[in-house]
Amino acid sequence: MIMVREWRILTSRRIYLIAMVGAPLLCVLFFFSLMGKGLPEKMPVAVVDMDNSNISRRLTRQLDNFKQTDVVAHCTSFHEARKLVQKGSAYGIYYIPEGLEHDILSFRQPKVSFYTNNSYIVAGSLLFRDMKTLSILGSAYVARELRYAKGQTERQAMAEIQPIAIETHPIGNPWINYAVYLCNTILPGLLCVMIIITTVFALGSEVKSRRSNELLRIAKDDIMTVMIGKLLPHTLIYFLIITFIEVMLYSYMHFPCQNGLGSMLIVSYLFVLACESIAVFFYALIPILRIALSLSAFFCMLSFSISGFTFPVTEMHPILQTWANVFPLRHFFLLYVDNALNGISFCYSWVSYLALVLFMFLPLLSSWRLKTVYKYDVYDI
Amino acid sequence: MKRFFKQIKEGISDLLIVWYDELRSILSDAAVMLLFFAAPLLYPLIYGFVYNQEVAKEAKLVVVDLCNSPESREFRRLCDATRDVNVVATCTNMEEAREMLRRKEAYGILKFPSEFSKCLASKEKANIQLYSDMSSLLYYKCFLLTATEVSLKMNKDIQICRMENATEREAEVTITPLDYEEVAFYNTQSGFDSFLLPAFLILLIQQTLIIGICVLSGDTYDRKRFHRMTPILRHKRGTFRIVFGKALCYLMIYLISSFYLLFIVPQIFSLPQIGNPLHIISFLLPYIVACTFFGMTLSIFIKEKEAPYVLLVFLSLIFLFISGVSWPGSAVPPFWKYVSYLIPSTFGIHGFLKLNSTGAKLSDISFEYISLLIQIVIYFISACLIYRHRIKQECV
Repeated sequence: MIMVREWRILTSRRIYLIAMVGAPLLCVLFFFSLMGKGLPEKMPVAVVDMDNSNISRRLTRQLDNFKQTDVVAHCTSFHEARKLVQKGSAYGIYYIPEGLEHDILSFRQPKVSFYTNNSYIVAGSLLFRDMKTLSILGSAYVARELRYAKGQTERQAMAEIQPIAIETHPIGNPWINYAVYLCNTILPGLLCVMIIITTVFALGSEVKSRRSNELLRIAKDDIMTVMIGKLLPHTLIYFLIITFIEVMLYSYMHFPCQNGLGSMLIVSYLFVLACESIAVFFYALIPILRIALSLSAFFCMLSFSISGFTFPVTEMHPILQTWANVFPLRHFFLLYVDNALNGISFCYSWVSYLALVLFMFLPLLSSWRLKTVYKYDVYDI
Repeated sequence: MKRFFKQIKEGISDLLIVWYDELRSILSDAAVMLLFFAAPLLYPLIYGFVYNQEVAKEAKLVVVDLCNSPESREFRRLCDATRDVNVVATCTNMEEAREMLRRKEAYGILKFPSEFSKCLASKEKANIQLYSDMSSLLYYKCFLLTATEVSLKMNKDIQICRMENATEREAEVTITPLDYEEVAFYNTQSGFDSFLLPAFLILLIQQTLIIGICVLSGDTYDRKRFHRMTPILRHKRGTFRIVFGKALCYLMIYLISSFYLLFIVPQIFSLPQIGNPLHIISFLLPYIVACTFFGMTLSIFIKEKEAPYVLLVFLSLIFLFISGVSWPGSAVPPFWKYVSYLIPSTFGIHGFLKLNSTGAKLSDISFEYISLLIQIVIYFISACLIYRHRIKQECV
């Protein structure tokens, strides 16, 4: 009865359609088209070449050849280049001093400088990497030429220039793909926003339209029946949506998923249920709809920062490390890392599974309060 | 002439009535108070607190030393001595180290192969393997930069040792014929707070403002309270007065909270602040006005005062990414770039970052400034049309 009634409400009002289906799909579309290439490419950099020699031009060309950099301007003074950075049309400056070639040939060890605008941290770090590589290579290139001149073979020369070499193996994401790094948590995170807010909204709308009493009557005064009946249609829709998101991530975009799609789907379903439980708890805690929605919005937006997928939780203040545990997205992120990225077994991540399950007890704790609210129909104006 | 003056007088008094009315409804609505006052007050503090460590330090690294030679031990020691990396353990085999990674006791493995010192002694290239957990890019960056730096340093020492009969300077020049220096502009420690918080503060102004406006407008729908404005409607051109009166009210409130957000919060977290305050304020004015009219325009979609939470909150993250700050603007696809031009925060964030963090002058951000002015004109017209439409509806 209640389920059929809820289904009618969901299909009859446009706001539910937008919130539950439209918004998540928009997010998927947006983030995939934004980050489809994995890493930002062709980031603008300005070169100040005061030398304009064979070597300096070679350095400029090399810099332009990096996939992520694009030399957009050849400036004649540092001032000009800095203006470009302040205007935001370049994220970095590569400065080649006058007399570079001459100084190299006469063993005077000239110095190139590179500047990155770290107000844009992603662009800054990526450019930093490329410009640093270029400078090290530039030095090695000259050193190698010197050794060739002394009659060494390439192998000998390279072993001398670089006696110790580092081989890097980024586990699980060998391309250092930013889309893998961000989408896997942002998309479920945004769904979490929609779930919590829409669920609170749906619960509160009953009271607002003064029909919550009617609901209780249908369920013969049993609040659990009301809750399950009301939220089951929601849950089904969210399960479908998150299945779609996960399938897009791992089957369409082929992001790494070591333990298989099934394991991530289980994690996702638990995550959806945890989010709904939190929403029920919030509404029961503060039955004034607008305030409960404000609280939910605050909670959801904070969960992005505190889940630790951009800035590691282990680096935050100890108090925050403890509080991070009350955010379902934090546990989802940990489980995603264990399951999809690193592919390790259940026994290392059971705590997070347990945490997600524990969230589901919240509605039980708060059901008595929800019942009072529903019974007395108090909608604050 | 007399009539003209009378009209102006009337207009101003109507404006003040609307202004007072709006202020009263803001102050009497707890949810709007939360949005307009509590959120700008508290949210930045929590947010700043989260990212206040700025960078990852002492990332946990485990060493697998199959070689156990003086060279490998020195490498390990040098890594441990840096700020970025902390060597938590030395294991004798890979499986042990992997287990530590699974237990999250470490986030990276540095492996010296057994032939490491032999290669060095025989002047062959010696390889070291660095494995890194990719759940956090910051840790990866720590490991990679540290290992590179240490290897560069050791390479230099090794080469100097191998060079016989050369002076120190001679050896130095032969090894690195071309020196380099790296300078990080504006956000010198590459910190997270300094990078994200300014963008976040500007976005917060827009989001709380548009959600607040939509809540207020939904409220009038809910209570059918539009009749309160009917005294003004008796005169023609009531729309301008209503729109201006309300905008004035929001502008007043947001000038105060923006002062707190943009001048005091950065002080609390000692973020880079090299902008000229006068320039920032004169940039802020059009930004707040643009946000106000943008919010009024959006309110056409809102028929209920709770709806803005459902429809507008999730957009915050999209607005942040579309603006091209956390994802470089040059890499945003053209379609989304054009969409981003519709949103005041895109220009607001860029303008503020340039003024505040890079010390640009107002003349350097003329593009953002003019764009905001164009937005003001467009959204003002649309806001007037919408309010006129709604007033007509109410009058019927």
